[in-house]
Amino acid sequence: MPAIRPASKRKAPPDGFSDIEEDLLIFGNKMKDAQNTPTDNIPKHQAQWPIFQISHQRSRYVYELYYEKEAISRPLYEWLLKNGYADALLIAKWKKQGYEKLCCLRCIQTKETNFNSTCVCRVPRAQLKEDQDVQCVGCGCRGCASTD
Amino acid sequence: MVKSTYQPPPGALLPLSPGWTEHKAPTGHTYYYNAETKESTYQRPGPAPSPINPSMSSYLQHQTVPQVNLSDPAVANAFMAQYVQQQPHTHGQRGGFGPRGRGGFQPRPRPQPRDKPRTKVAIPGCDPWILVYTKYERRFAYNPDKKTSYWRIPEKLMPAILELDQARIRQKAEGKTGEASPEKETSATPAAAPQQPEPEAAQHDYDSSEYEEVEVTDDEDDVGGGLDQDGNPSKRQRTEDPANDGPAEFTEADIAAQLAAMGADYGDMEMGEGEGEGESWEEGDEGLPLSDEDARELFKDLLNDFNINPYSPWEKLVEEGKVFDDARYTVLHTTKARREVWEEWSRAKIQELKERRAKQEKKDPRIPYMALLQEKATPKLYWPEFRRKYKRDEPMKDPKLSDKDREKWYRDHINRLKLPQATLKADLKKLLESVPLSALNNQTVASHLPPQVAGDIRYISLDPKVRDPFIAAYVQGLGPQPEAGEVAEEDEAVKKAREERCKRERALQERERAVAEEKRRQEKKLQYERARLRDEERELERAMQVSKRGLHSQLVEGRAEPGS
Ligand SMILES: [Zn+2]
Ligand SMILES: [Zn+2]
Repeated sequence: MPAIRPASKRKAPPDGFSDIEEDLLIFGNKMKDAQNTPTDNIPKHQAQWPIFQISHQRSRYVYELYYEKEAISRPLYEWLLKNGYADALLIAKWKKQGYEKLCCLRCIQTKETNFNSTCVCRVPRAQLKEDQDVQCVGCGCRGCASTD
Repeated sequence: MVKSTYQPPPGALLPLSPGWTEHKAPTGHTYYYNAETKESTYQRPGPAPSPINPSMSSYLQHQTVPQVNLSDPAVANAFMAQYVQQQPHTHGQRGGFGPRGRGGFQPRPRPQPRDKPRTKVAIPGCDPWILVYTKYERRFAYNPDKKTSYWRIPEKLMPAILELDQARIRQKAEGKTGEASPEKETSATPAAAPQQPEPEAAQHDYDSSEYEEVEVTDDEDDVGGGLDQDGNPSKRQRTEDPANDGPAEFTEADIAAQLAAMGADYGDMEMGEGEGEGESWEEGDEGLPLSDEDARELFKDLLNDFNINPYSPWEKLVEEGKVFDDARYTVLHTTKARREVWEEWSRAKIQELKERRAKQEKKDPRIPYMALLQEKATPKLYWPEFRRKYKRDEPMKDPKLSDKDREKWYRDHINRLKLPQATLKADLKKLLESVPLSALNNQTVASHLPPQVAGDIRYISLDPKVRDPFIAAYVQGLGPQPEAGEVAEEDEAVKKAREERCKRERALQERERAVAEEKRRQEKKLQYERARLRDEERELERAMQVSKRGLHSQLVEGRAEPGS
């Protein structure tokens, strides 16, 4: 999750930015709210979930505008990536088969987990027991396998 | 039910939605499973899927403690909404926390319902059918498996419902306390299952004659198993309660959709006196003036009319909730359908805007040049310096503009920057007022102003942070695009589109009128029904008095006999 560059330090955005400026601002405010929310009362591992979630949503927003709706230009898309409005590494994964819905990069790293495997949220629904409910500890994802 | 301020009493568990059952995980966690949809969740699936909202955030579902800043009213609403809406898994349960149903916060207080389901009772012997009573004492039959509902009671259910009614009448006749003898109850409603247990904390005058009560038992797995999660063997249902808008199984939108979908087709609530059309109205939608295509187009009209930004994410539309109260919102019955149409619409809209902008820019080379000036021109640079510095920029090379013009505009612009803000604002207002309504109207999108505006020097004098809200406010106050004036210029397609829209809207109006009329008729019938119920009660009472007297006289006779 790259940080958004402060407006003063970046190049002016390419054409089309005004179309999405307001929505990006809303994401930004949500992110600020999430970061400023006191986390004293919640389990430590859950504290970061909203931040992961908003970051994911914002990347998805940019991704869909560029790849699915072709609503923004390549220069604008690149500018957004460069300035931290979307996670380029995560988007790169979404373009790969099997990772179309990936929640976050951490969940496909095998090193950090106990069983040397990816996160439980990557397990396709079909492979879970019928009544099994999963939620990943890292980002709060409840399942992001492509087949779900 | 769903006022955003509604706070469930602590410890009061909401009823499980139909189809859901409660289980204990090996870890000791309680979780819920829906055998039908194969979904499971730790979050108690409460009142049922709403067509309005995509399934509630998976994030919120796990939280037992506030993780949000509740001092922000919007956030607080969203947080409370998770208790109230208890969105279980309608669609898109899995799939990351991406757009499909993993949207996170949905800070939208639901619109105030008009009528809504209040209580329900399983229809004995007609599993899985249930009879749902609404706030306004209407009722409809609902099949949770097929997710279909009928205001007009299907004929096959009528005998069972008649029996239910008779049981209720008997019960009432036996005293208003509602504590009818258990044998009688079970025999009357063997499969009845409560779905709306009273929150323990609620205090109500059960003896008041204002409440009609139906004693029900809970002995059925497929319906009841998922319903009475408290493990209470028997619960009381209340069919009327003006005070407490507790959550129920169906949302207002559901009802509205049902009303709309069934259109003129529902209506016969006279028990046992149905017109016997049986299956002919089975799936509800037939014979309605609105086609599927019409519904989709109406929904798109709605998006257009509310000036929804096609670049915005779907979640924003849902969070803002601006469109929920429009009748056109419910012409599509599911969130999934709405989202699909929205997706289609936003793509087309963006494409259209892109094309329009490209055309405009081709038509008027001043627009990109003005944009360049706005961005780069500064009193610190003289024209020759500016020209040198930005000579590689497209607008500086555009052969459609002369260098002389460019220079003039540059100087004008720099000079104007020294003017007081009030003057610049007044100038901008004058500019906006000079544009005819056909080019600038309340349909105008901020990023696609007509060339008369975007290519004018007065447009770029103000800082966009000041200018854009100013223009937005001005545009909002304008009327719609005039229809008569330009008809001649319009091509056939536009004309046809408008005609079709009129047709759709007429169809919608017609349908709404039919629904409203049906509602009125319904209420009349209901009153009649109630009056009849009272008469029957009275008769029963009289009959019982007679039988008591009869018994008494028998006893007297019997006593008299040995003596004779
Ligand atoms: Zn995941
Ligand atoms: Zn995970």
